[in-house]
Amino acid sequence: MLAYRATYLTGIFNYTIQIGAYFFLWQAVYENQGRLGGMAQEEMLTYVIIAWVARSFYFNTLDRTLSDEIREGQIATELIRPYSYQWAKMARSLGEGLFRLLFFTIPGAVFIYFLHPFGGPAGWTVGVLFAISLMGSFLINSQINLLVGYLAFFTLSTSGILRAKRVVVDLLSGLLMPISFYPLWAREIIEYLPFQAITYLPNMIYLGKLEGLKAIKALALQGFWFVVLLMMSYFIWRLAVRKLTIQGG
Amino acid sequence: MVIIEAKGLTKEFKIFRRREGVVGAFRDLFTRQYQVLKAVDNIDFVVRQGELVGYIGANGAGKSTTIKMMTGILVPTSGHLQVNGFCPHRNREKYTRGIGVVFGQRSQLWWDLAVIESFRLLQRIYRVSEVDFQQRLHRFEDILDIGDYLHLPVRKLSLGQRMRCELAAALLHNPTLLFLDEPTIGLDVLAKANIRDFLKEVNQTLETTIILTTHDLGDIEALCSRVAIIDQGKMLYDGSLDQLRAHWGEDNLEEVVKDIYQGQQPPGVKGWGE
Amino acid sequence: MGWVWERTKSIAWYTEIFFHYGSQYLKSKMTYRADFIINVFSDFFLQSMNLIFILVLFDHIPVLKGWSREEMMFIYGFFLIPFGFYSGFFNHLFDVPEKYVIQGELDRVLVRPMNSLFQVIVETMRLELVFGVFVGLAVMVYAAEKMNLTWSWWDIPLGMMLATGATFIYGGVYTLLASLGFWFEGRMGLMPLVYNISNYGRYPADIYKGVVRFILTWILPFAFTGFYPATVLMKREEYYYFGLLTPVVGLVFWAFSYFVWTQGIKRYRGTGS
Repeated sequence: MLAYRATYLTGIFNYTIQIGAYFFLWQAVYENQGRLGGMAQEEMLTYVIIAWVARSFYFNTLDRTLSDEIREGQIATELIRPYSYQWAKMARSLGEGLFRLLFFTIPGAVFIYFLHPFGGPAGWTVGVLFAISLMGSFLINSQINLLVGYLAFFTLSTSGILRAKRVVVDLLSGLLMPISFYPLWAREIIEYLPFQAITYLPNMIYLGKLEGLKAIKALALQGFWFVVLLMMSYFIWRLAVRKLTIQGG
Repeated sequence: MVIIEAKGLTKEFKIFRRREGVVGAFRDLFTRQYQVLKAVDNIDFVVRQGELVGYIGANGAGKSTTIKMMTGILVPTSGHLQVNGFCPHRNREKYTRGIGVVFGQRSQLWWDLAVIESFRLLQRIYRVSEVDFQQRLHRFEDILDIGDYLHLPVRKLSLGQRMRCELAAALLHNPTLLFLDEPTIGLDVLAKANIRDFLKEVNQTLETTIILTTHDLGDIEALCSRVAIIDQGKMLYDGSLDQLRAHWGEDNLEEVVKDIYQGQQPPGVKGWGE
Repeated sequence: MGWVWERTKSIAWYTEIFFHYGSQYLKSKMTYRADFIINVFSDFFLQSMNLIFILVLFDHIPVLKGWSREEMMFIYGFFLIPFGFYSGFFNHLFDVPEKYVIQGELDRVLVRPMNSLFQVIVETMRLELVFGVFVGLAVMVYAAEKMNLTWSWWDIPLGMMLATGATFIYGGVYTLLASLGFWFEGRMGLMPLVYNISNYGRYPADIYKGVVRFILTWILPFAFTGFYPATVLMKREEYYYFGLLTPVVGLVFWAFSYFVWTQGIKRYRGTGS
């Protein structure tokens, strides 16, 4: 039990350190600067904190679990169980996510608040909208993880792919920096990709930069991407299972 | 010539005893209660060059601990131990150059490499000259029949094939002393017979001293004229197989050993296990 | 003199074994060729992420705490050298507690006539990740060209010394962490923690204040893996004092960690786990 408690504490501390790396960097960036990428210094520091705190909720290792299970052939025993494999995995990681939210994300946020008080959401509606969009982050991120995990059906080399996916998600979701910092051509591409719905859009809602109808639109966009990704992963899943049952793994 | 000499060899482990309940766990944080377990308790043991000794005992009797002390992995708590003229746990790197070790449950070959590549690595580690290497390799190819799969990666070998390669690997540097910890575990009848024949041959032609632990009494009957039995850290019997049978008036070794593990005394023999 | 001769022979022998292990490693990796290439590529991708970050950032600002874009790139490039060696040789020391101590693989290591730490390192290395070193060198050369840094011949041995020192710091920290596995069962999640702290070394240390900077300089000296030594090569004299200390810090840290490792081995040989 003590070992778990140590892991728990280092876990919270770990997020603080990751936030710290970008926190100090952005502080230095804003020295002698006014607004950058449409954001003032305090907004930016709040952005960084919220981005990482939110990540501690939606983050999961579905991709790794899945590709491990596929590679080691455990998937066969999973397939004969009387439930949908992907929904079971999603539900499980949602459970873990909620657990982390209560015991990890919220205490972590309080802890960081003591280190550096950051601004809350502007009012109740914004708070509720943000909470909904956080759900959206979870759903989209999980679907992307499922998709990447399923790649193990088609290739043996998964660890490199998982790493590459992490880079893509970190860069294009807005975790590293707000999408508004990127050059125009890049922003135009990113707008047509699902990744920004994981961090950038929820954070913009939190900061009150997407209000009213715009916020609803952002939530709708999240819903759209969730459905698209769901269909994609369902399709790949059918394909893979057919391959599995024909070739026998 | 004496190869192994152990006098009063003892190994104690401190085992952390957890207290019960939340209060107990809290108290454990500050004061820990330990229980001392004598895994090996005051053993005397002498092995001469060329002997092939079977070392048996129930699970947790202290076999592995003894072997680990003799191979230099564990440091004895007390007692005297000299192997090959060395004190195994001091001077570990020099000492291990002269012994071979096979753990039945643990491979010393490189999983993704062809068998021959593992041998080549070991050749360098043990500084075996090319002439010796080739000569020994040919010999092993002959008697272990491993020539066919020297170029296959280890992961593609069956357990029996792999174990033969493990033996060859442990003998490439021509050690005077070979430790085998359950070398036949999990093998089929034929593979076991193969390994036994090979060990006999190595023991006879190269005069390699062999210490063997096993749970398969067939190994002992086929190979060892001498058997040592350990129970709860104490040496219960050390002598010839024939005499052991004679003590018990029972030809079936399995029955004898079963009785011993259950703590029974041989009929009419005094001082057993003292 | 005899001692020196013995030492030299021993080093030559270990070098030979090392290269043999290395070539065998590459051979075995070649059976999973696609995996190998994707690994190298994705690692390169990971390195470029921070580069992209710096480039995008400097679209908006001229300098960061007085450091130009090229200087930031140079620091990051230097950082990639010890980082590459770390990824190749020390990162997988995190297997030690679980695989070597709890599952007892160390038994096999201890019956071989070789240094135990050396064996564990060559058994767990991921040689392909050393590729990052070349990426780092390329970034450094590019940045140096851009800021018209004048080089002289002695910058090369100096740079090698600094990079070696920085690598020893990385190796020392991870050896120390792995050694803790001898005393504490389970991982306690320390490895990712330290990894994230190590990332602080990529940026100029003067953006950190107080405790943070003190820790990065004297406790977990990751400021010596990128920033301090890089400033020496960039001829920023105000940091010479720290920068030139890099090899010393590296040696001290490595020696301390190696000592803890030997104590850990001693404990293992006393308790068998």
